[in-house]
Amino acid sequence: MSLIARIEDDLCLAHGDCEAVTPEAFRVDDVARVVGETTDERLRAAARACPAGAIVLYDADTGEEVEA
Amino acid sequence: MGLLIVGGGLAAQRCIEVLRAAGDDRAVTVVCAEPARPYDRPPLSKEGLLRPVDTAFRDEAWYREHDVELRLGVAARSLDAPARRVLLASGEPLRYDALLIATGAAARTLPGLPRARVLRTRRDAERLRARLADGRPLAVVGAGLIGLEAAASARALGAEVTVVEAAPRPLAGILGPRAGAWLMALHRAQGVVLRTGVTVERDRRDALVLSDGTRVPAVHVLAGVGVAPAAGWLAGSGLDPTGVRVDEAGRTGLPSVYAAGDVTGTGHWEAASRGGTAVARALLGRGRLPASPPSFWSDQHGVRLQCVGDPRGAREVLAYGDLASRCFELDHLQEGRTSAVLLAGRPPSALRAARARLTIPETTRRAA
Repeated sequence: MSLIARIEDDLCLAHGDCEAVTPEAFRVDDVARVVGETTDERLRAAARACPAGAIVLYDADTGEEVEA
Repeated sequence: MGLLIVGGGLAAQRCIEVLRAAGDDRAVTVVCAEPARPYDRPPLSKEGLLRPVDTAFRDEAWYREHDVELRLGVAARSLDAPARRVLLASGEPLRYDALLIATGAAARTLPGLPRARVLRTRRDAERLRARLADGRPLAVVGAGLIGLEAAASARALGAEVTVVEAAPRPLAGILGPRAGAWLMALHRAQGVVLRTGVTVERDRRDALVLSDGTRVPAVHVLAGVGVAPAAGWLAGSGLDPTGVRVDEAGRTGLPSVYAAGDVTGTGHWEAASRGGTAVARALLGRGRLPASPPSFWSDQHGVRLQCVGDPRGAREVLAYGDLASRCFELDHLQEGRTSAVLLAGRPPSALRAARARLTIPETTRRAA
């Protein structure tokens, strides 16, 4: 499976855990943004680390939401 | 002139980040009593007790590149709002176009227990970590978030840890009895001795004598008994020196004076983040953020706890999942609606679903 990450801006409180865990894919200034690509496992790790649950993962093929 | 920020914690940093990300280039000066660049506090009671961690939000170059003047180790003495001026401890006056008060809070201490340390600053964490390195017993007074997280970390280091709490259960101020009982069991299963419904009567060098006559080993003592807004310097300014009241945009009622974070009495990281952002949006002339329920999170013994809404005063609690496990949700019901959800060990999608179950109450806070 190939995953795509999206940040829910309304939920993001800029905790910064995504950038700390997966710096190649996330950057946080006013809110978190997706800035690069990485492996599915590292995207999952970032999504699980987010205390606000603001990172949503989708299956790139089906477009369906995928559990982190 | 420009924006003057007194205090250099999360609320200050969030305000600066949002302003600069929006391309706003007004002059920004940060005056901070702590001699450290703005840093994040939540790790201090978690991995920060296990090993040295650098929790600075940004490196020095970032502040230079973003044209932010940091004046560290500099305290403010008073505010003269009609003159739009803050007086520093040195006597130097600083004028402002807009002022953000973000001086945070100070950890409360225990008057009868002067050797008890507190855990609020990076320096506090470094000192406590150095002390715990001897492996000798720690007593934590107060089963709040900081006390419990520190207890869990000290256990992970192998120390004998006792938590003493006057209330009948941990986190009694924010959690109901069911969650409190679960949390108590979690800590006990990890070998933390949790003594509730008792207070410290006497200090006996290597032990504390409790109100029921028992003793607990206490070579090291940590007080985790809450914080008080660091607003004393505002006495005489027209703002409340016990905690600055603000509206949803962080306005204090004094012209061009805003406040955010723990100095407003909010007390949680997520509120400080929202507060700093709200002030930046007000300065940018942007609309308010949509109302959002209060929330906090905590990591204890490898279990992530998340709470959205306000669980206090719930009439009924519905459990989804097994409370004997480390994965469940507690829906708190009040007047026919879900007032809060506490999640333990649940995935991000569950937190989003929990938020959706909440009906957001109208905020009743008003500018002073």
